Amino acid sequence: MTIDELIAKISGSDETARGEAWQNAGPLGAAAIKPLAPLMDHKDTEIRRAATRAAWKIVRHAGRPDARREARAVTDELIPLLGDGQPWAVRREAAWMLSEIAGSRAVEPLAKLLNDKDLREHARAALQRIPGRRSLAALKAAFEAAPEDYKPALAESLRIRGQKVENVKSVKLVPVKSTAVKQVGR
Amino acid sequence: MNQHDQRIPRRTVLKTVGAAGLAAGFPYIVPSSVLARAGRPGANDRITTAHVGLGGMGNAHLSQMVRRMKEGTINVAAVCDADENRLRKGSENAGPQADVYRDYRYILERKDIDAVFFATPDHWHAVQMVHAAQCGKHVYVEKPACCTIEEGKAMVAAARDNKIVTQVGSQGRSQPEAYLAHRYLVNGAIGKVTHVECFHYPSPVDNEPVPDSDPPPELDWDLWLGPLPWRPYNKRYCHGTFRWILESGGGQIRDRGAHVFSCAMWWMGADGTGPVTVEATGTSPSKGLWDSAVNMEVKFTFKNPDWIMTWTQAPNAGPRGEKRGPDEDPIVRDGYGAIYHGTKGTMTHWGGDGGTWVERKVREWEPPAGFKDVYNGGHRGEAGHHQNFLDGIKTGKKTVMNIEAAVGVANLCVLANLSFILGRKLQWDQAKQEIVGDEQARRMMSRPQRAPYHL
Repeated sequence: MTIDELIAKISGSDETARGEAWQNAGPLGAAAIKPLAPLMDHKDTEIRRAATRAAWKIVRHAGRPDARREARAVTDELIPLLGDGQPWAVRREAAWMLSEIAGSRAVEPLAKLLNDKDLREHARAALQRIPGRRSLAALKAAFEAAPEDYKPALAESLRIRGQKVENVKSVKLVPVKSTAVKQVGR
Repeated sequence: MNQHDQRIPRRTVLKTVGAAGLAAGFPYIVPSSVLARAGRPGANDRITTAHVGLGGMGNAHLSQMVRRMKEGTINVAAVCDADENRLRKGSENAGPQADVYRDYRYILERKDIDAVFFATPDHWHAVQMVHAAQCGKHVYVEKPACCTIEEGKAMVAAARDNKIVTQVGSQGRSQPEAYLAHRYLVNGAIGKVTHVECFHYPSPVDNEPVPDSDPPPELDWDLWLGPLPWRPYNKRYCHGTFRWILESGGGQIRDRGAHVFSCAMWWMGADGTGPVTVEATGTSPSKGLWDSAVNMEVKFTFKNPDWIMTWTQAPNAGPRGEKRGPDEDPIVRDGYGAIYHGTKGTMTHWGGDGGTWVERKVREWEPPAGFKDVYNGGHRGEAGHHQNFLDGIKTGKKTVMNIEAAVGVANLCVLANLSFILGRKLQWDQAKQEIVGDEQARRMMSRPQRAPYHL
């Protein structure tokens, strides 16, 4: 299957062909990411879903052991999908895809998303997962600059990365959601 | 006060006893013979429970505890659900003495609650169990224990560090015919078992996909989603249907694998061990929201002792259940189970959860003199498994499906799905509890959790 065939099958109306196409997309590699991106925001739910799953197949294939060059190539194609011009769903998926295979070159573009309230949790997750000093430094810098209500989330990432964060209390055990249900018999 | 200090004074005293008492055999709960007249437990001997998650299994647990409350051994103090309709029904089931909550953390703040039953979607199990442990509560949590390797590690550590009793809802271990099968195998009736061949019918395909939408007014979607990455609500991703989403339920291999593998690890004496390799292949649904494998083949290879376990998820996998007489307990779920291949024969069981059935020769087997006996939960459904949990709270004894055993079983399911997702064989280091030689798979041993719903 060529990239053109992948795109044609995913965009087409044959559900069986679409399903087979995205499931076999892995070996098409980095070059297929860019043409898939517009379909990841297609108005048709099933086309959108198939394109996103095709991209995931490429990420999982590129992340296999002894394929670091492929992982880097896919990383380079995913980074532009984090950009302002991309739809929320595409940026979200790109952040999670990068969390599995990216190295330090994805850190700065991910760190920029920490200022975006709709995307910062996905970016934080990716930075938490990407090993190395640069991702840790990005989390530390974000923590210092974060608004008070977001510091606990970044503190948690830092703790998971082995850092001591003593001046921010965890809020994980603090209940906040009340019910409107009346207890039976009262 | 830090999170570890949020315990009731009575519990603090008892836990101090309990920590040492685990070795010395002191009970957690003072016996009724001390605090009340013999034959009827006193108020101080009742275990006070709360119930989080009020769907099918949650209400099954709740009903059992309400029954025990009428017998005077349990006090059901609270019910909780993120879905107001379910909460309302749960409140009716629990009775007027039980307070109602949407947020389980109110329950963890209460000093009077001894044990919490969690029957929430799988993606909540680890976080809620760990939080409850950190607040000093004993925990019964539904299976599978965890969704990731790191969640499992955290659950084991939380139970150990906070000295709580845990029971995970792989209640197959407590079924009467599970006892018969276990006894049959450990006494060598089929010789040395070299292959456990598990079978199951396929996961369903979402043939009626719908677009994302606003959640229904009764549902707190943010709380239901909890630790998972935020995504819009979809009717095909909620109660029940979460089972078919990899990031949550994980398909049949995590739903029923947590039962069938639980029986296998228990009967094989393999709790605390793990495979050295896991290799899965399968077919994905070609459309729809659900993404767990429809058909699946998995091979787990164990070393020292050497044996393999396979999982075949396909139409017509495995033998149909044998016919039983009119006075015998009928096999009502024969679409899953396992065939145990030994050096001297085979043994087949069906089910593996609240219904576990074994073939006739096992039921009719007469144990020889001096045979080795094993744990017998003694009751169909959940009752025996509940009793084992409540006994654990009172005595400090490990339960039959404690968190260490349950995480070992859940890890099999997690590793199988990881191998399926990645399309490659995985190497597993049981001693270090980590995947070896695959950086991407290693990163996927954990999934960063959405704040503030994290471990």
